[in-house]
Amino acid sequence: MSEPTDHGRGPSDAPSDAELAELTPRELEQLGYRLDDVEIVDNSPKWPISGTRAEKRAERNVAAWFALSALSGLAFVVIFIVWPWEYRNPGTEGYLLYSLYTPLIGVTFGLSILGLGVGAIAYAKKFFPEDVAVQQRHDGPSPDLERRTAAARLTEAGRTSGIGRRSLIKRTAGLGAGAFGLGTGVLTLGGLLENPWAEGDESPLWVTDWAPHGEKVYLRQDVGDPHEVVRMRPGDMSAGSLVSVFPYKESWSEEKAKEALHHADNPVMLIRLRPGTPVVERKGQTGFNYGDFYAFSKICTHMGCPTSLYESQTQRLLCPCHQSQFLANEYARPVFGPATRSLPQLPITVDDEGYFVAEHDFTRPVGPAFWELDAT
Amino acid sequence: MTSTTSTTRPRRARGRLRRRVSGLLALVIALLSVGTLYTLFAPQPQTAQAQEPSAQVREGEQLYNNACITCHGTNLQGVEGQGPSLIGVGEAAVFFQVSTGRMPAVRQEAQAGEKPVRFSQEQIDALGAYVQANGGGPTVPRADLGGGDVAPGGQLFRLNCASCHNFTGEGGALSSGKYAPDISRVNAEQIYTAMTSGPQNMPKFSDRQLTPEEKRDIIAYIETMRGDTGTATNPGGWGLGNIGPASEGLIAFVVGIGALVGVAVWIGAKA
Repeated sequence: MSEPTDHGRGPSDAPSDAELAELTPRELEQLGYRLDDVEIVDNSPKWPISGTRAEKRAERNVAAWFALSALSGLAFVVIFIVWPWEYRNPGTEGYLLYSLYTPLIGVTFGLSILGLGVGAIAYAKKFFPEDVAVQQRHDGPSPDLERRTAAARLTEAGRTSGIGRRSLIKRTAGLGAGAFGLGTGVLTLGGLLENPWAEGDESPLWVTDWAPHGEKVYLRQDVGDPHEVVRMRPGDMSAGSLVSVFPYKESWSEEKAKEALHHADNPVMLIRLRPGTPVVERKGQTGFNYGDFYAFSKICTHMGCPTSLYESQTQRLLCPCHQSQFLANEYARPVFGPATRSLPQLPITVDDEGYFVAEHDFTRPVGPAFWELDAT
Repeated sequence: MTSTTSTTRPRRARGRLRRRVSGLLALVIALLSVGTLYTLFAPQPQTAQAQEPSAQVREGEQLYNNACITCHGTNLQGVEGQGPSLIGVGEAAVFFQVSTGRMPAVRQEAQAGEKPVRFSQEQIDALGAYVQANGGGPTVPRADLGGGDVAPGGQLFRLNCASCHNFTGEGGALSSGKYAPDISRVNAEQIYTAMTSGPQNMPKFSDRQLTPEEKRDIIAYIETMRGDTGTATNPGGWGLGNIGPASEGLIAFVVGIGALVGVAVWIGAKA
């Protein structure tokens, strides 16, 4: 055993053709094991005496699992076709039957595959002989002779193919393989490459739908119905309240107005502070408010979560994701948590009809920081 | 001649008399019309007339002086560092704070939480009437708050309420020890008055921001979420606290991995 054998495949072990023809399948199996250096220590059958009650019970057990699988599979097909699947409102007639549809097709189809699996494992456990085998483990590399001959075969194959001399073929083949590899790379990575600055100053990172572009941008409240446009007026809010608003232009189609409710950089919190709340304005943002009304982007400058948890007494705006806190009465500057930049403030005023409008777009980018952005 | 004079004099005298009478009449009519016009157009006195407060308001004042005056001041103007002004908060705020036991508060802390209620319904009404009489403000709804539409209510709840109170109304943490409470136990009037009065750190939702109908829809959604209407609120059978992915993930991990380990042990075990 300590001497590394030649993987048990020495010519002396192999039987001659005549001997091979004489061997039974059982003997062939034994020979195969021996050639692989495997020794069967114990291979006693599970049921040495056939026809016992225990064996019959084991057989029925396995068969029961397969039968369960078959029945469930058939039940699945039947339920899938005939069960009432059309939606019913809760509380109406037929709701119970409808509500059972999905669980039933899941349970029956699941039992069908589970029965097959459990049956197969149960059969293996109850009927396969528990053989104990020992296989010799061979340490170290292959013998020196095998390694050197194998290497020589490879080098000779390369030499006789003449590829070393035919540089034209070698180069064109390399070119073809390289171009194919490039194509694969472009295919997988190309979709990820995008130039966010393609539109210059109008690039999406700088501009939101709040940019007027020569038109009035109203502050629109989302009332749950995308077709119902509710424009905010100062009288709509009492002191100490907050409304989430979205941009709306009269020239927009219904589809565009609906989209504007979903663009990630559009949500704005319109806050009416209580009268007498001490306010600190930011340099360059004076007059962005309208009386006690202040409008800040809802998108956290840390990771972009919605920061609309408004504490109307302490004037804090909280972000639920990483607990950043902003002071609503001090230009929404961060006072706690991982956010480092203030929430951008939207300059608002009231038009001659009494509706809130945005004077211009945000002066600072909305949402998380990016490389090209100046600090704060 | 005399006959002519005698005939003309009385005629003249009659003409003078008529002129005098008609002049007097014109004067009377002019005076009357000026007087009427004056009473019509004269400005009403702008000073508030002191009215005798009703018995309910007086009872409310008595209760206020016993239970609330320490923090909210002698004239509801608030006490610096102790309690806010109650002028203009209205009976809605009184109803919400007192009927949920939040007020009177036991101590100064981040937030006054729910406690057993200290006052009877009549006393709460009296307190509300007293506060309402001194500055006005939102009132307690007298109309029926049922019959809202659940679907738009859910939309509005997610748009306006869910950021603090969680999608199912279970509440959540705020800053520095404050929290948005679990709203699954409060009744419809309390939900309504909480929206109109903005208790403690909650923003106000006036009737122009969320119309009374929209408020009713939201109440219907909250009641559906807690199963008041007899509909199935937990399609999976068990809400797991309704707090979302944390508990659901934990259960999936423990139960799912446990089941897989059990199956692996069974497959590997000798029969």
